[in-house]
Amino acid sequence: MEATNATPVKYDMDVVRWFTIAAIIFGVVGTFIGVYVASELAWPFLNFDIPEITFGRLRPLHTNAVIFAFGGNVLFATGYYIVQRTGATKLWSNKLAWFHFWGWQAIIICAVITLPMGMSQGKEYAELPWWVDIMIAVVWLSYGLNYVMTNAIRKTSHMYVSNWFTMGMIVMITYLHVVNSLAIPVDWATSYSIYSGVQDAMIQWWWGHNAVGFYLTGGFLGIMYYFIPKQSGRPVFSYRLSVLHFWTLTFGYVWLGAHHLQYTALPDWTGSLGAAISLAMIIPSWGGAMNGMMTLSGAWDKLRTDYILRFLVTAMAFYAMSTFDGPVMAIKSVNALSHYTDWTVGHVHAGALGWMSMISFGALYHMVKKLWNTEMYSDRLVNVHFWIALIGATTYVVAMWVSGIMQGLMWRDYDEYGTLTYTFVESVSAMHPYYVMRAVGGAIFNLGTWIMLFNVVMTVRQASASRSANPVAARA
Amino acid sequence: MDYLHTDWAAMSRNDWLGVFFTVAAFVAMIAVYIMVFNPKNKDAFDSQSDMALRDEGEYNNSGDKK
Repeated sequence: MEATNATPVKYDMDVVRWFTIAAIIFGVVGTFIGVYVASELAWPFLNFDIPEITFGRLRPLHTNAVIFAFGGNVLFATGYYIVQRTGATKLWSNKLAWFHFWGWQAIIICAVITLPMGMSQGKEYAELPWWVDIMIAVVWLSYGLNYVMTNAIRKTSHMYVSNWFTMGMIVMITYLHVVNSLAIPVDWATSYSIYSGVQDAMIQWWWGHNAVGFYLTGGFLGIMYYFIPKQSGRPVFSYRLSVLHFWTLTFGYVWLGAHHLQYTALPDWTGSLGAAISLAMIIPSWGGAMNGMMTLSGAWDKLRTDYILRFLVTAMAFYAMSTFDGPVMAIKSVNALSHYTDWTVGHVHAGALGWMSMISFGALYHMVKKLWNTEMYSDRLVNVHFWIALIGATTYVVAMWVSGIMQGLMWRDYDEYGTLTYTFVESVSAMHPYYVMRAVGGAIFNLGTWIMLFNVVMTVRQASASRSANPVAARA
Repeated sequence: MDYLHTDWAAMSRNDWLGVFFTVAAFVAMIAVYIMVFNPKNKDAFDSQSDMALRDEGEYNNSGDKK
């Protein structure tokens, strides 16, 4: 496996560039739809009585856009980038990578058409019609095959931990997507899950939480373990800890889904097991977060001047916070207060805006500079984006935490006669200021993505102009 | 103890498979802990901690410093 010389490797980076640009565009689009649906909750007239843009139809479009269009393109761009550079090899099949790129974008277009039309399987994060599920399986497997085979032909003896995280994600998401999506088609818009009742709920949240665990956590941890060392110029603080992080996450995460179903028809012990393992997962999660942060040992001063590094390190802080918040919410007594409230929405967005998006923005900025062999058009705008993203995410999350806890307390409050103190409508009315605050926080965050898009477009144009002016230097 | 009571006679094949995979996953996780924390393996693991930095020209493709 060892290479015998230091011959420069010609990587397949065109497809990585396209995935990168697609990710940045869908970051803008996905969060914009999120702002719109948040605004609909604050000001319902924004529905305009048009069924296609009502909350119920646009909400799954928002979640699919940010998770699969933005998050997916980030994962694929970084995955193909990391696997080539750490393995010192080209992709096993560049053609298959292009099939993957166009196939994934076609799936996103199908989502944009079908979800506003009201076609939904009603399974959270798996709403798309059955025939799109088949497309997802085919395109995902093409990615998996290409990724595994690229690792197999690597020139280095060791397979870097980022690739382990990505391959763990590929294997588990294949399994989860296929099992969760098993359904009997009736026509092209309708199908029925092969599971019923409590089994359907269990399978749904086995998928739902593991999509969080292996896709939104595992996949993005692969990004963290490559880009924090790269951007800081420091080795991983403890490689042993990273290996432990991978295996404990892989063994542990699959148990957690039942914590979404406390106090339901599911057997009581499954919820208890889900809560117990959730609490146990704090250990590897915090170990990983500390590992990421401590990688900066000896380079903390770089945070003053390196704005990309700020994104990456702030992401680790949100990762640590979310992986504490989640297990606490899984405890039955806390869940009795938090479940079905906006606290859950706050928790999810601490992860999505603070962890997943921040680590993505940092990795994307890093890659843009490398892929186009240039400096950013404006480092100052990167810094502006960082602060806007941080303020937006914090505003959003704090609004939902306060709103959620207040909601839970209002729902459970009763007077000396045992009668509920508040009607449900009163609790909805009390939420209004927080829903406005949430929409404002989201809008601030969305503004940051527009700044990033502008900065990256100008950077690419700058690089193209430089290449035209000096083609020899550009090839060097 | 009633909470922990199990009707073993009613266990189906799927139940036993579930038990098997649960215990196997637990044992495998313990094995990983032993492997990672074994002092003999420390150098082997930590020698890879700068692998991400080796693709910038400072190191060759084998991971050795030029």
